[in-house]
Amino acid sequence: MEVVHATATPLALVQRVSALIDAGRAGAAGPLLAAARQIVAPSPELSLLAARLAESQGDPGLARAELDVAIEAAPDHAGLWKQRAALCQRLGDFDRAARDAAEAVCLDPADPDAKALLGSAMLSLGRPAEAWACLAEACAAVPTNAAFREALAIATEANGDPEAALGTLMEGLSPKGGALNLRNAAILFCIRHRAFQKAVALAEDGRIAGTVDACLFGLKGHAQSSLGLHTEAADSYAEALKLGPDDPYVRHLVQASGLLPGAKRAPPDYLRTVFDGYADRFDSHLIALGYQIPGAIRRIAMAYLDRHPGRPVLDLGCGTGLVGVAIGDLPVGPLTGVDVSARMLAEAGAKGIYATLEEADVQDWLDAENSQWGLILAGDVVCYFGALEALLRSVRERLAGDGWFVFSVEEHVDGESGWALLRQGRYAHSRDYLEDALGAAGFAVHALRPQVIRHEAGAPVPGFLIVAEPAALVN
Amino acid sequence: MNAIAMSRHGALRRCGVAPADPAAWNRLGRILLASEELCLAGAAFAEASALVPQALDIALLAVEVATTAGTLPDTLVRLADRCAADPFNVAAHTARGVVLQRLGRHDEALDAFEVASALAPDAPLPARLLGGVMARSNRLREAEAALRHAHGLEPDNADIANDLATVLMRMHRHAEARAILLRLLERSRESVTVLCNLATATTCVGLQEEAVALAEEAIRLDPDAVLPWRTLCSSLPYLDGASGERLLAAARGCAERLPRALHPSWSGLTRPPRANGMKVVGSSPTMTLKIGLLSGSLRSHPVGWLTVAGFEALDPDEFRLICFGRDAGGGDPIAARFRAIARQWIDTDGLSDAALAARAREIGVDILIDLGGYGDSSRMLACAYRMAPVQIKWVGMQNHSTGLAEMDFFIGDRWETPPEFAHLYSERLLCLPDGYVCYSPPPYAPDVAPLPALSNGFITFGCFNNLAKITLRVIQVWADILHRIPDARLVLKTHQFSDADTAARVRGRFAAAGIDPERIALRGSSRHRDFMAEYNDIDIALDPFPYSSGLTTCEALWMGVPTVVYAGEIFAARHSLSHMCNAGLADWVAYDTETYTALAVAKASGMAALAALRARLRAQVKASPLTDAPRFGTNLAAALRFAWKACISA
Ligand SMILES: C[S@@+](CC[C@H](N)C(=O)[O-])C[C@H]1O[C@@H](n2cnc3c(N)ncnc32)[C@H](O)[C@@H]1O
Repeated sequence: MEVVHATATPLALVQRVSALIDAGRAGAAGPLLAAARQIVAPSPELSLLAARLAESQGDPGLARAELDVAIEAAPDHAGLWKQRAALCQRLGDFDRAARDAAEAVCLDPADPDAKALLGSAMLSLGRPAEAWACLAEACAAVPTNAAFREALAIATEANGDPEAALGTLMEGLSPKGGALNLRNAAILFCIRHRAFQKAVALAEDGRIAGTVDACLFGLKGHAQSSLGLHTEAADSYAEALKLGPDDPYVRHLVQASGLLPGAKRAPPDYLRTVFDGYADRFDSHLIALGYQIPGAIRRIAMAYLDRHPGRPVLDLGCGTGLVGVAIGDLPVGPLTGVDVSARMLAEAGAKGIYATLEEADVQDWLDAENSQWGLILAGDVVCYFGALEALLRSVRERLAGDGWFVFSVEEHVDGESGWALLRQGRYAHSRDYLEDALGAAGFAVHALRPQVIRHEAGAPVPGFLIVAEPAALVN
Repeated sequence: MNAIAMSRHGALRRCGVAPADPAAWNRLGRILLASEELCLAGAAFAEASALVPQALDIALLAVEVATTAGTLPDTLVRLADRCAADPFNVAAHTARGVVLQRLGRHDEALDAFEVASALAPDAPLPARLLGGVMARSNRLREAEAALRHAHGLEPDNADIANDLATVLMRMHRHAEARAILLRLLERSRESVTVLCNLATATTCVGLQEEAVALAEEAIRLDPDAVLPWRTLCSSLPYLDGASGERLLAAARGCAERLPRALHPSWSGLTRPPRANGMKVVGSSPTMTLKIGLLSGSLRSHPVGWLTVAGFEALDPDEFRLICFGRDAGGGDPIAARFRAIARQWIDTDGLSDAALAARAREIGVDILIDLGGYGDSSRMLACAYRMAPVQIKWVGMQNHSTGLAEMDFFIGDRWETPPEFAHLYSERLLCLPDGYVCYSPPPYAPDVAPLPALSNGFITFGCFNNLAKITLRVIQVWADILHRIPDARLVLKTHQFSDADTAARVRGRFAAAGIDPERIALRGSSRHRDFMAEYNDIDIALDPFPYSSGLTTCEALWMGVPTVVYAGEIFAARHSLSHMCNAGLADWVAYDTETYTALAVAKASGMAALAALRARLRAQVKASPLTDAPRFGTNLAAALRFAWKACISA
């Protein structure tokens, strides 16, 4: 018989546990820690391991409990306070995080980690001046620590000095690459401050240094397309997709560039990313572009509400609520807005016009509803769908027998195909296709007229404004 | 009373007399297991292991019983309880790992073995099991560490030594593997597995003739086994002078030995058989097709680099991709690309070939594309069972015909597989209009540097292919080129040169051909980006023969380096021909060694032309069919449709 005994030393066991936790292998670390705890006396080190293990197994409550007990037993152990501070920070308990980090700083004033923790907590608590002081010390002690530096840059910007913030990030970059997060933070910073050339240059430096990162290429594409370099942007997006094939945002833009077979509609995750990032600038931006749709919709809505005052109105892809603003003074019933972007909805909510705002993809939302509406509006939203069959069918089902569906699309001018995905990620539709698709979905065209959507680089973007009604009404 | 019954009685009596003797229960258990009285055997082992909880062999025998009895899930629960109650019980942790492994829960098995071997660092079995799962999860460095540890504890265990050699081979450390296998062979030449592994390792260190001889020795040892034939198929294409006919014969020899037992789940399918014995009734030429991709290499590997862009370019509404693959481990970007386009990912590990074929039929795969061939993780047997009504061979040990009657088509192009070579293939050729693959260059490739000869003042030739492709004749031809251009140099780069002895042997071969070793630089392995960057030291690449470079030629082109090519007869001898022609460089191809040598000399004499070509080459390749994924996707789609129509109208 082959009897095998456990012969590992306690020290070897504890070291193994620590290495396995570092390697993300909680499944192996757990049983070994249980074994170690049977033969090793309790200590702060064991508690730290147990807390790390619990957190890596997705049980922050247990981690917290381990640390609470351990701190009770060894209140002078700075490492325990630090660990709990970091845990609380991750859990969003910033108050506690700040207090624990402060305790760790008192116990070990020379420890830059503790200072950085305190700084991050202060930042989260909206106290950027104190945060800056802590993070500056941490960063001075370990200038090569990218996390400290990134946090310091955020604190610097929060203190109102964006130039110094960028400087802080740039100081940490080396021409040989590395410090990937810092570089991406610097690029993003430049994009946010509309320094697109600089963003492209930073990304290009990273590429030349051999950075292998989807985010870097994605940000580069974004900056390039903001500079109107669409071919280059398409290349960058294609590279980003090779490195991060799961990113729906990048995938959609690569499809839009024609490098991948086109999708039939823009994916909700893509829309959410785009419009969440766009929400705070949307109104002013569109006004600058000469956006004409809300006004045009208002004229049609007026005609309808004259005959059917007080009918409830559904605004699909309501965005920041510009359509609501345009029709708010008409005799409408309660106004409901649906949009996939939470940040856009927040802007709409602030305008105080909508009775109800729903965060959802319009197709999903329509399919889950069984309400009826007199007027359904979609301003500059259908351009995020290529094939319209499913959407039109769903709208048709939600439209009252005497209702109108009013929407705008961009015109697909050249080409035999009914619709096309354009480089910017929007779709355009041909008049023939629209008429066919409406007919097939049970609509009759009440009006379909050319309409300038907005101006791009000074030139009008052609489109259509359509009023469709249930086909049964005709004849 | 027969012998078995007698020993059964004896053992039972012994248990009655000495119920506290674990050996008695153990013996009884083994007898009962042998006579398949599973329930009783289980009970006997339970007695034994209650008496000696730390007995590893008993715990494992109990797992055998549970496996045969189909009660692994219950056993798992019991073992988990035992581990929780006694965290130091190595036997329980190990047995639990084996159960998890058999249930296909490899990650958890890994953890269980890790625990067992950490608890008992001087027990060889847990370490060996740990190494095995690590290897299967592609965690080769950790597998090596575990197996080395086990090998150190039990140096005479041939299985451990063989496992270790296999892992080393997967890490391209063939010389080390070879040393281990040669030691095993000194003790006995009776193991087909060892002979075949040795043949593979021998091919890879560039001793092609020895390798083929070893494969043939293995065939003589067991002429009906598949493995020796498979080994022959994968070593023969490297052998100088191996003809297409000889390769086809070897492939047929292998294919004929694959068992063809019809799998029981043929019936009861939603689609009863018709074409090729499988149902395609109710199918239309234009219907959405389910395309199965079968390969252990859907990751950063030639298969990935040369196919993923093509698959991405297929219209997902027309072709639904289903990957039959292996877990590449996290973080491989090409594996992630396959996952992103796959509607379904079937892990083939733990599926027998019959089960794999059955799974494909259940899913209703319409076209199966094999991307594994007779390679390491070959699933050709599943193809022999037929996974789909249409089966196509493409990339992945696609060195020549598969010889398999059930392989309906073979993807090539007008350079790889011109019509006059059709008789060298058992499959019907599907000729794509441009190249037969589409290269997806890595985003991290360094920029192309100016021609090094401009600053060096001499030409540097290079070949970054694996040593298996570098035959003695190749070395002689290269030496000839170096004699004709007395200041030229040659850089060879391959994993194998990380091994000093191997490098010394190759240097010796050049010396024997009269070449000053100073003129030859042998470089070992590096990370992929650095590997690409080293093309910035090379003016002209030299293609090996008969096995030409596929991916390597594409990489060189992307780095601005053209390759002098010698195109031969077999499929593997024509990769570079196809790639160079597709990149618009047909004037770099020769069809015999004299022209090859003359071409290398001529190209080397025109530095200005070389510099100009290098400066525009990446742009040229980018605009060429070699990397034009949308264009390739259209071609591939048309070929798949063609194959489908041919099948349903048959
Ligand atoms: C260009 S804005 C127009 C907003 C508003 N209708 C207007 O005219 O000002 C498009 C809005 O539609 C939303 N959107 C686009 N496609 C959507 C979908 N499938 N589901 C929900 N919201 C969508 C976007 O989030 C964005 O807020």
